[in-house]
Amino acid sequence: MSLDRRKFLKSAAAASAASAMGMTVPVELQASQEKAESDWRWDKAACRFCGTGCGIMMATKGEGNDRKIVAVKGDPAAPVNRGLNCIKGYFNAKIMYGADRLTQPLLRVGADGKFDKHGKFAPISWERAFDEMEFYAKKALKSGGPEAVGVFSSGQYTIMEGYAAQKMMKAGFRSNAFDPNARHCMASAVVGFYQTFGVDEPSGCYDDIELTDTVVAWGSNMAEMHPILWSRVTDRKLSDPDRVKVVSIQTYTHRTSDLADIEILFSPNTDTALWNYVAHEIVYNHPEVIDWEFIKKHIIFAAGPVNIGYGMRRKGEKSLVDGKYTELEMETISKEMSKKVSAKEAPALAPYGYKEGDTMNNTAGTLKHWEISFEEYKKSLAPYTLDYTAKIVKGDPDEDINEFKAKLKALAALYVEKGRKVVSFWTMGMNQHTRGTWTNTLSYNVHFMLNKQAKPGSGAFSLTGQPSACGTAREVGTFTHRLPADMMVKNPKHRSIAEHKWMVPQGTINPVGKQHIMKIHRDIEDGLIKFAWVNVCNPYQDSASATHWIKAAREMDNFIVTSDGYPGISAKVSDLILPSAMIYEKWGAYGNAERRTQHWRQQVVPVGDAMSDTWQWVEFSKRFTVKDLWGEQAPSGPRKKPLPNVIAQAKEMGYSEDTTMFDILFANDVAKSYKLDQKDPIQAGYDNSEGYGDGRNVIGSDGKVFEGYGFFIQKYLWEEYASFTRGHGHDLAPFDMYQKVRGLKWPVVDGKETQWRFNSKYDPYAAKETKENGNAFAFYGKLAKALPYGDLQGIKKKEKTGLKNKAKIFARPYMDPPEMPDENYDTWLCTGRVLEHWHSGTMTMRVPELYRAVPEALCYMHPADAKAKGLKQGGLAWVESRRGKVKARVETRGRNRPARGLVFVPWFDEKVFINKVCLDATCPMSKQTDYKKCAVKIYKA
Amino acid sequence: MKLISKVTLGLATATLLFVGCGGNSSAKANGASSQVAAKATITEESLGLRKTDLYTEDSTSAAKTEYRTEGAGSSKKINRAFQDAPPMIPHDVSGFLPITRGNNACIGCHAPEVAPAMGATPLPASHFLDMRPHHKLVGQDFTKTVDNYKNETSVKKLTHLSQARFNCSQCHAPQSQGNLAVENTFQANFITADGASRSHWNEVIMDELDTVKGGDNFITAEDIANKNSAAGSLKAAEAAAGAGKH
Repeated sequence: MSLDRRKFLKSAAAASAASAMGMTVPVELQASQEKAESDWRWDKAACRFCGTGCGIMMATKGEGNDRKIVAVKGDPAAPVNRGLNCIKGYFNAKIMYGADRLTQPLLRVGADGKFDKHGKFAPISWERAFDEMEFYAKKALKSGGPEAVGVFSSGQYTIMEGYAAQKMMKAGFRSNAFDPNARHCMASAVVGFYQTFGVDEPSGCYDDIELTDTVVAWGSNMAEMHPILWSRVTDRKLSDPDRVKVVSIQTYTHRTSDLADIEILFSPNTDTALWNYVAHEIVYNHPEVIDWEFIKKHIIFAAGPVNIGYGMRRKGEKSLVDGKYTELEMETISKEMSKKVSAKEAPALAPYGYKEGDTMNNTAGTLKHWEISFEEYKKSLAPYTLDYTAKIVKGDPDEDINEFKAKLKALAALYVEKGRKVVSFWTMGMNQHTRGTWTNTLSYNVHFMLNKQAKPGSGAFSLTGQPSACGTAREVGTFTHRLPADMMVKNPKHRSIAEHKWMVPQGTINPVGKQHIMKIHRDIEDGLIKFAWVNVCNPYQDSASATHWIKAAREMDNFIVTSDGYPGISAKVSDLILPSAMIYEKWGAYGNAERRTQHWRQQVVPVGDAMSDTWQWVEFSKRFTVKDLWGEQAPSGPRKKPLPNVIAQAKEMGYSEDTTMFDILFANDVAKSYKLDQKDPIQAGYDNSEGYGDGRNVIGSDGKVFEGYGFFIQKYLWEEYASFTRGHGHDLAPFDMYQKVRGLKWPVVDGKETQWRFNSKYDPYAAKETKENGNAFAFYGKLAKALPYGDLQGIKKKEKTGLKNKAKIFARPYMDPPEMPDENYDTWLCTGRVLEHWHSGTMTMRVPELYRAVPEALCYMHPADAKAKGLKQGGLAWVESRRGKVKARVETRGRNRPARGLVFVPWFDEKVFINKVCLDATCPMSKQTDYKKCAVKIYKA
Repeated sequence: MKLISKVTLGLATATLLFVGCGGNSSAKANGASSQVAAKATITEESLGLRKTDLYTEDSTSAAKTEYRTEGAGSSKKINRAFQDAPPMIPHDVSGFLPITRGNNACIGCHAPEVAPAMGATPLPASHFLDMRPHHKLVGQDFTKTVDNYKNETSVKKLTHLSQARFNCSQCHAPQSQGNLAVENTFQANFITADGASRSHWNEVIMDELDTVKGGDNFITAEDIANKNSAAGSLKAAEAAAGAGKH
């Protein structure tokens, strides 16, 4: 195909001519009239990977089943990334084409062809796969009720998939043993949002980057984990290098520090002390910068208990009683019950009534908190003098203490400076933290006191890790405790709303949502959960203390199913593997960290017999009837009361005992009103494998060719889900709007997206709340908006005071994590990602360019540590904790450059199974695992 | 069906385990307890990237990184993966990384004015475009300079490297030698004769951005009204529940 050079020159010239005049030209005027790639079809889509949520342009070529992706380019119309992608973004082109895509269901069978837990895998039909799933799910229901049926859900579900799964789990199975991998990534941010704002919503947006003067990255390697946001930061920094300051606050040096004006290396977990130090500087040394007018109108002060444990297993739990944990493991786990207050944390805990050597008896984590006075809050900050802070925070033993102190002062000065706009960014460093919720709330404290929150160019901003952690996991609510649009299973009104919307009897939804993702693993190990289904995640590679969960899956009486595009570790340890359609093989939508929802269309037909997760859920729902699921359910697991029998009500609603969940939840009359229509410009020319079936003629769950549902199921799921959000501060726009533009930031009210939440100028919900008083802000979240009163040590007055439209500043001390380096395990281990790989590597390790860029997980360490331990650059070393050990090659000259005493080992590599080493301690409030800290020893392999 | 057979064949070749089991997979099932002629042929170890025992680490170690050692200027360029894909780095990068605020060694050789003399791939014209509109903030008043509801874009030519592209290693990476963990069946389709070695992206930036064919590529009042969406409103359900707002 030849290029028409003149045409290209013409369009490029048009673009530059317009820019010379300072104009911006609508796309339609710039686009060339003839297309060089006439048999390519370009369409917009969202990147598969991180929470940044970049737009891509994707080209496909070929007809019918043979249509394939041929290219990906950056989308200049996408506001997030404006034509630029990172290496993973470009290589979305190849992620679906690894040679070992799963193409058929695979079941472990014995010589007789029957299911055998110890058998090898055999290819089976979809019908047989659903037969087995039905059999074992019903067996589990019989053994332990709804709590015995578990699902590992995902922040990488499309919004429609997550909604379909949630609906079947919560309305169908009445099970809340449903929790996403996003628990590992966002939960502390979420609880931070709830505690501070009363609603799980970020204030700012990415436009803050171009508007700010200061970017502070707190324990976040944005340069690798949010590369396009980092390119925006870089652009901003380099465009005004003297004014714009970048501070990198990290536990080891990495690429984010390479651009920074100031790098602060802190000792793991002491970021809480550092935030409190900045607050101390404000309150004690620069009280004049506190915006009291703002505080009085919008803020109250609060405290909660500090002896909340570390989210580990607790005394009396079955697997502890059964001796499934070794003495070495128990050294750490015992701290869940009680611990001695250390010299390091004692000064920070003094205002809460503890001193060094005291025994702290822990009760399980609680979200409870109460209002306190400013004076009490001030008291909580008293310990964080420059001397104490520098002493416990300094993370590089070789750094001069005075130089370090100077950096702390410089950090505080940047926040405090009048007229200086500041954005604080974080992701996993602050979230994967046994005090992750606390650290999140501490960030808002500083921004609030300075009135630098929810404003253009200023704010504390939690970046999400996954592409739809925000859009699916949080907004749809694919968590154990949640319902769509920020509603909660424990709230009877919320259950009632969902039950009506879902056209299921009142009383159907289970009110107890306590089986978070680590609890699901632990409930499998304890024998409560007998059936578990893995959706769009890899929990057997991504969970800490991995050996326990793998053993429980392989050795106990249960049935584990994994749906995936590729055989990852979760698939390998499963009893049944289902082949899933991957992202561009289905219609979908993701919601990113700045509240932007982006949709895409099905670009190609899936490979083999792979089908989408939506299809798998909908087909599964055909196997369960009203009488199978909606009778009385005896107490089970965390639920102490029976679930009512709602079959009579179901009959009143026109269902029979034999009506299937498919007919009620997915193929009802409302659903069927969404028509497939090839004359609709949105649908014209695009496959819809769920709607029409497709040219592969996949033999479906009934043994017959699947010929489609006959309606536009993705649009139905979208619109029904969106109806939960509309009018409630989470408003999503109609389906078709998203097909036309590069995403919209919710809430989308009267068609308009929202730039800054809680800010009356930009947020219609805040404007509504402040209509009468004329306030500039309204922190209108509804959760925990009436509090008792007390001091740092407890509640003194039980009667609650309302705090409508106010946010909270929390007193939270520095505390040690439950496992720290000692004589035997002398080094901190931190895990995380690298730029070139996504999560457990199931997709990116199959893209040649990404694999070759980083084919192995290395153990990044300081050369002096390597020398002291007799290790050579490039040599193999064992990394061993109380829980397990793995081998990795030593890297002393790489992109990650720890100080002495810490190593970083990423977790994408199946062959360096670092989660066998990690500890499954969590923030006891958010239940998010702390993957960033445990103690290891390292020696030559 | 061509695609399916190719991918299945790829799997069979990669694992060598499907050999001799063809035909069994299509057995008809009659329920979980039925006799089925499914034959177990695929071991756990044969699946995935780690072909060793999952339960012990003794016999497992990672694939070793073997980046090319040829120096910059003397290495053989690597073909682009597809039309306008970012090229991978064919030479040794030790000494060039990290890229810091004060030192970007890549530009030294790849700047278009020096690249030919250095035998380096020149930074293409796309790297000298600013595609980010600069929205305005006056006091607390923010205004967008382009309208994302109409998919408007902003492209400005620069005389220097776009600072958004300063972090070269964000898109370009050195490549380890040796076998892949798994082959990839993606097939490039170059639409220019030199597509494997040169970027033409800046020439087609604005092409094909109107993705809704035969319909509007901007948001209309009708879209916002969303009148034909039976599931789109919760009001009826709420009224029925008497539950009020949450």
